[in-house]
Amino acid sequence: MQEKNGAEKSRGWYRLDNSAAVYPAIQRDDYSAIYRFSAVMKKRVDPALLQRAVDLTMPRFPVFNVCIKKGVFWYYLEPNLKPGPFVKPDIANPCMPVRFREDNGYLLRIYFYEKRISVEMYHALTDGAGAMVFLKTLLAEYLRLQGYEIPCTLGVKDVAAPPEEEEAEDAYIRYATSETPRGMKEDKAYPGLGTRAPFYTLNVISGLVSLDELRLTAKSYGASITEYLSAVLIRVLLDKQKREQPHRLRPVALAVPIDLRRFFPSDTLRNFILNVCPAVNPGMGEYTFEEIVRQVHHYMRLNLSRQYLRAKMTGNVRLRFNPFVSRIPLVMKNPLLYINYQRMGNRQYSATLTNPGVFRVPAAMREHIQRAEMMLGQSFAARANCGCISFGNTMAITFAGSIVEPDVEREFFRRLVRDGIHVRVESNREEGNGCHTA
Amino acid sequence: MSYCVNCGVELHETAGECPLCKTPVRNPKCPADTVSPKPYPADKGEVPPVSRREIALIVSAMLASVSAACGLLNLLVLNPGRGWSLYIIGACVMLWVILVPPFLTRRARGLPHILMDGCAVALYVGLISLDLRGADWYTAVALPLIGGAMVFVSLLYLLLHRRRRSLLTGIISYIGAAGVYSLGVEWILDRYLIESPGVSWSLVVCTICAALMIPLIVVRRRPALREEARRRFHV
Repeated sequence: MQEKNGAEKSRGWYRLDNSAAVYPAIQRDDYSAIYRFSAVMKKRVDPALLQRAVDLTMPRFPVFNVCIKKGVFWYYLEPNLKPGPFVKPDIANPCMPVRFREDNGYLLRIYFYEKRISVEMYHALTDGAGAMVFLKTLLAEYLRLQGYEIPCTLGVKDVAAPPEEEEAEDAYIRYATSETPRGMKEDKAYPGLGTRAPFYTLNVISGLVSLDELRLTAKSYGASITEYLSAVLIRVLLDKQKREQPHRLRPVALAVPIDLRRFFPSDTLRNFILNVCPAVNPGMGEYTFEEIVRQVHHYMRLNLSRQYLRAKMTGNVRLRFNPFVSRIPLVMKNPLLYINYQRMGNRQYSATLTNPGVFRVPAAMREHIQRAEMMLGQSFAARANCGCISFGNTMAITFAGSIVEPDVEREFFRRLVRDGIHVRVESNREEGNGCHTA
Repeated sequence: MSYCVNCGVELHETAGECPLCKTPVRNPKCPADTVSPKPYPADKGEVPPVSRREIALIVSAMLASVSAACGLLNLLVLNPGRGWSLYIIGACVMLWVILVPPFLTRRARGLPHILMDGCAVALYVGLISLDLRGADWYTAVALPLIGGAMVFVSLLYLLLHRRRRSLLTGIISYIGAAGVYSLGVEWILDRYLIESPGVSWSLVVCTICAALMIPLIVVRRRPALREEARRRFHV
């Protein structure tokens, strides 16, 4: 397997990494695995300057300067020599599905609106950590073009330097060496669905909270910020399930992507994440909020170990390179992967909560940025997902999804307010459009 | 700044209502700012439709290569005096008409496609009848049968696809249509073969169809039975 890791790079193409292989297969007319990172600047964005910054930044990231192609057995990435990507004015429905032949084949988009610069990435290219590196480098270049001195530290890459070999590696293969691989099977979770909004709609509600207040509150429950936010979301989903009075109460589980670079050193800019699924089963009885926090806290502590993650990673990699799976032609593999994802991947959790952490930039950049934002695109099923990111003392918690009712968002932010956290909300939802329950 | 009285969250200056609960902002000291830009743009992006031309091209190329290969084999090697390859070429043309247009149109167009498919089948059978000098059976049997099938398929399409119907209604309709169509088939065949149309085997088919339909209609119309069937046959 090691031989397959990056050997083809010198031949001018990239194998999809272990995590990316599934995304083109589950692509639908109305769904793509897309997410967005944004930085809200202190001044209005200059689109011409931003375009120049993009043109300077793109050659530094050959792993993003690609288009996706169909092989006989797998999709693969090929260097994209067409002009682009071009910066565009932002739209009301972010994270639109990707069409592999549109936008000159580029799988990332760059938008601007007032003071906001946004980068949307197709998940087959990279994960949140890779996207953050790209955004930081782009912002640094944009600020340099305005005459500021920005050092190449804290994830800002030097656009004049050649790309590093390790940035293109499939780090899963390097670390998938466990003797006892683990499967991905989990119990079927409560789906947490809502009424699907019309195609092209992505309803976004963003809550801006003070990081210090959030940290203090989480600490008062004996949890980290991610654990506390996960517990709040689980509580909200448990209540939602209870209101729906289902025939059988199912566990409420969250998909929480974990950046594996924290456990396995790697400079890869491609996907290197693994989902863990903290869950609470209401079938076992009522849970108080404190009990949910404790459950999530202990689950995280138990499962976020090098050994467990390596075993899980090995299971996934072995499946990907299984001789039988590999030799199924793509036309047959796509529907099989789609069905498998629908049955295994999608049903195992009720929502996704991702927290890529702090958007750390060099001090010279910090004074030009107001805050960072992160949102997940529409989900495979009709539900809202949550993305959090912090910059300075502000954490942006953004719910995005293609569902009509903002029930989950409403109860989530009300819970934070009840816990003494000041929340400021912003949304792209149209006003005067029906009446929600108060 | 304004706060939602229900949710307790601070709202954006431009918000006229709380996005979480839709409670309108009524703050005489700080009315909603209608001048400043909203936090998100208002213009919607459009996703281009998925192109299925690639599949259409692959299917076309496959059918064309089969036709060309058989045509050449017929002309150069195998029985050049007899145009057997026309059967295969005709079949390829018929398959092309049936398979490719749905990939070239953005939305499925039921009735035009049914009409085109029927015409393609009629043309192919016509080609066979020309080769076999069977103009009489073509006009007396094949065309009415194909035309009748087209009428039934069109009616079923209008009944089942224009409005959403349950699976049970669909099955009942298909069985009923098959029974009625069998009557027509026997009448057309009898008229051509023995010139005295009557009802014999088609009555057996109709009886079987009716016997299948009656319990399904009962299940369809009785909610308790429907629920029972759903429970027993759930997957």
